[in-house]
Amino acid sequence: MAEFSDAFGVLSSGMRGQSQRLRHIAENIANVDTPGYRRKTVEFRAEVEQGRRTGGIETGPVQLRRGELPRINDPAHPMADAEGYYEGSNVELVTELADAREAQRSYEANLKMFEQVRRMSTQLMDILKR
Amino acid sequence: MNEMPAIFGLAAGAARHAANRQAVIATNVANADTPGFRARDMAPFSVDDGFAPRRTRPDHMSGQGTAARSYEMRDVAADPNGNSVDLEDQVMRGLEAARMHDRALTVYRSSLDLMRAALGRR
Repeated sequence: MAEFSDAFGVLSSGMRGQSQRLRHIAENIANVDTPGYRRKTVEFRAEVEQGRRTGGIETGPVQLRRGELPRINDPAHPMADAEGYYEGSNVELVTELADAREAQRSYEANLKMFEQVRRMSTQLMDILKR
Repeated sequence: MNEMPAIFGLAAGAARHAANRQAVIATNVANADTPGFRARDMAPFSVDDGFAPRRTRPDHMSGQGTAARSYEMRDVAADPNGNSVDLEDQVMRGLEAARMHDRALTVYRSSLDLMRAALGRR
């Protein structure tokens, strides 16, 4: 039975990680036109408890995309400088959408495995009930 | 009648193996986007015929312990970030493990029925 509860823990850590990733993607998409906004990403790494890998994952600190922010020419914008330029965000919608699709796919795979493990443990319980 | 306990042991062993394998696959799926993670799997269930090397003391390193072993899958293509988990393949392997588990439990259950019938209880 211990394998089942381990698997539940591992799979729920996977789902938690993927949903956090999806949340940051949503924030990025919402801020695609916010001046000076930098794209947020999280990194996945193996979860370690008491020096031992649990098999699950955890998310690292939120990272902001480095590099130049695009300079947009709009003299009427309240944040425009003397030359009429302001700094936009470095979010690319296409990248975000592709990333969101990948996160969703991984989340669904985790959920599917979760269902399967749950079904297996229910069947084992059914034998005990007889 | 004497064969009955052996078949129970066999079915329980197969079910345990399937559960262990499912746990390994669950770890692969959870790590589907972890950079550098290598997918793992387990060898198919095999019956211990009494000739397999076994670990008789816990401080001996080699030989088979009670815990099931998993191995790293080598012949799979990896992503640019070093991750070698293929989700479709893993879901399929998970299904396979679930079916093995089903089968083992079915064998267990029908042996139990057979034993009950032999005892004259229903």
